[in-house]
Amino acid sequence: MRNFMQVMVDAVALGSLLALVALAIGLVFGVMRLINFAQGDYITIGAYALVVPTASLTPALFIGALPVPLMVAGVLMVVVLLALATERVAFRPLRNSDPATLLISSFAVSYFLQHLVMLLHTGRPKSVGIGQALTTPIEILGLRVPGIQVVTMAVTAALLIALVLFLKRTPMGIQMRAAAENFQMARLLGVPANRVIAVAFVISGLLGGTVSLLLIVQTGTLDIRMGLMPVIFAFFATVIGGMGSLAGAALGGFLVGVASVLLQSYLPEGLRPFRDAFVFGLVIVILLVRPKGLIVIGAARERV
Amino acid sequence: MFRPTLPKGFALAASVSLTAMAVALPAAADDPIRIGFAIAQSGWMANYDAEPFRGAIMRIEEINEAGGLLGRQIDYRVMDTRTDQQYAATVGQQMVAEGVDLLVVSCDYDMGAPAALAASQAGIMNISLCAGDPKMGVQGVGPHTFTANNSGQTEGIAMAEYATREMGIETVYILEDLSLEYHRSAVAGFRAAWLQDRDEDSILGRDTYMNDDPSIASQITRLRNLEPQPDSIYMCSVMPGGGSAIRQIRAAGIDLPILGCTAMVDNYWLSAVPGLSDFWLPGFMSIYGDDPREEIHAFLAAYEERWGEAPGSSYLINGYSMIEAYELAVTRAESVDAPAVTTAMEAFTDEEFLAGPSTYTPELHILLNRPYLMMNVEDDSFRAVELYRPTLIPDMQLLFRIGQ
Repeated sequence: MRNFMQVMVDAVALGSLLALVALAIGLVFGVMRLINFAQGDYITIGAYALVVPTASLTPALFIGALPVPLMVAGVLMVVVLLALATERVAFRPLRNSDPATLLISSFAVSYFLQHLVMLLHTGRPKSVGIGQALTTPIEILGLRVPGIQVVTMAVTAALLIALVLFLKRTPMGIQMRAAAENFQMARLLGVPANRVIAVAFVISGLLGGTVSLLLIVQTGTLDIRMGLMPVIFAFFATVIGGMGSLAGAALGGFLVGVASVLLQSYLPEGLRPFRDAFVFGLVIVILLVRPKGLIVIGAARERV
Repeated sequence: MFRPTLPKGFALAASVSLTAMAVALPAAADDPIRIGFAIAQSGWMANYDAEPFRGAIMRIEEINEAGGLLGRQIDYRVMDTRTDQQYAATVGQQMVAEGVDLLVVSCDYDMGAPAALAASQAGIMNISLCAGDPKMGVQGVGPHTFTANNSGQTEGIAMAEYATREMGIETVYILEDLSLEYHRSAVAGFRAAWLQDRDEDSILGRDTYMNDDPSIASQITRLRNLEPQPDSIYMCSVMPGGGSAIRQIRAAGIDLPILGCTAMVDNYWLSAVPGLSDFWLPGFMSIYGDDPREEIHAFLAAYEERWGEAPGSSYLINGYSMIEAYELAVTRAESVDAPAVTTAMEAFTDEEFLAGPSTYTPELHILLNRPYLMMNVEDDSFRAVELYRPTLIPDMQLLFRIGQ
């Protein structure tokens, strides 16, 4: 039983992390029909912002050297500005293009950002020691849980609640939901398109920066592809959750993370190397049963 | 370091190098000997290529100052393969076409083989800086292909023998990173050597992960719930996943000795795990001033003088000793022709190079029991422990991992 509880904590912690990434992707998709693969590079750049750009293998700390509140604010700001810049330069001019063009454009942005990091920091993996205090295990109900897992779950819960309140209670949140439901109609009713989309990118930047920090505290390493796996998993999460549904994206993120940990924990040893095949197999099964995802929003239904 | 996918651009390499063979003219006796380096100067492979390259240059300059090799000076040039297999093939072909007597390739089978193939097809001598795969030799790339490093299996063997015989470790848990074949070879060697002294039951469990997994929480939970707990963890990995896994293991409060493999040597990644202790691995040499061999201290001093900075990677020594090996073979063969040099190298028996005694055979162009400097991390820094020479020589079945 204790073992099972521990596995569940592991599962929910990874699920939380993926839910944050999935939310960011889902939010931007909602207002713009853009699947933003550059979200992974937002995460990468947020993490690299902690160290001084140099070819050295042992870089000095940059934003990472600041006191914790400033460090967190600094990383979030870098990622938010980056998200806004990509929106302004790469996505806004294409806003009226079809989703496929936008998708390709996001791949281009992603490759560009990856190579930018390579240019500034070289392609070599580096390490960075941030948030040591969070890596000590905490005793909860007889379980020894790494501090970072508790923080990841708490941060995710807090952000989810904040996001729900924002979307339900603020004028901007309501406009954003309207835009996600029917963008043209919302514009006709006076919803400012530029501002709504910019705010969506700001939120995706905030979520991306948060994931950067959580990942760095967990792994202590920097790599130009560090955002890739979370984004691929999160992308599948948004699909099984139901494209365009924020609740679906969060739910999908949790499910993919939980499934991945449960499979790693309970598959027989010989099958464990193929864990990801089972995870994606599960994704296919869910889509076969519910082609529109777990939570279907009105905007996704065909209208005649 | 190695992975066994068939290098892309194989056919292209073959066709271009045939052309190269037709145009390469025999060099005059007093022309310089030409060495081409088709290695990574950018991308992740640069971590393992850049310093051995500097080591190689140091030996080349020493030879030139002493009057050259067979009375001929050595000219070298380098081209960046960008850690890209396709591009490595192109670079190899280009260097072969321009004419080289020796082509030096990357420290990894996958990354080095495309360039090595170009040389091999043209009948030119080629040596990898430090690939750990026997396919970088007769059975793989070609008859004139060598690698200046022990096999990946030998790393695992050294670690297992040292753990069971010198550290008194009774039980182990194996955590295997599936992302590179290199890791699997090391694990195969570790198991084989471990079972010399301990029975199968002393391997308390095994688990796997991928280098880019953001979390190995479930692997750690399984490890922590083992009854009884193991004495040690064996894990072979590279950065970034290796540093991340060790950080997560220590963050979960597991303070067991961690036994690792050579790719995790040197301090550059230790900031990922502040306060790390009790991490062990077989290394090449210590760049921290405590190597037990006097000649290494002189070598490090010479390095600082030549390059104006302390070395960042102990892989450095492989490049130096690779040129030492070529020098000895050319001297004995009294020729730079590939067949003669190959025959001379195949006759090496415990030849004393800076990196340690080295043996090749006509069947195996890879080293199997060059001694390692066992190292451990205490309080955030690697320290030299002692030299250890592995006793188990991997057979062909283990080297090519047949039936495993």
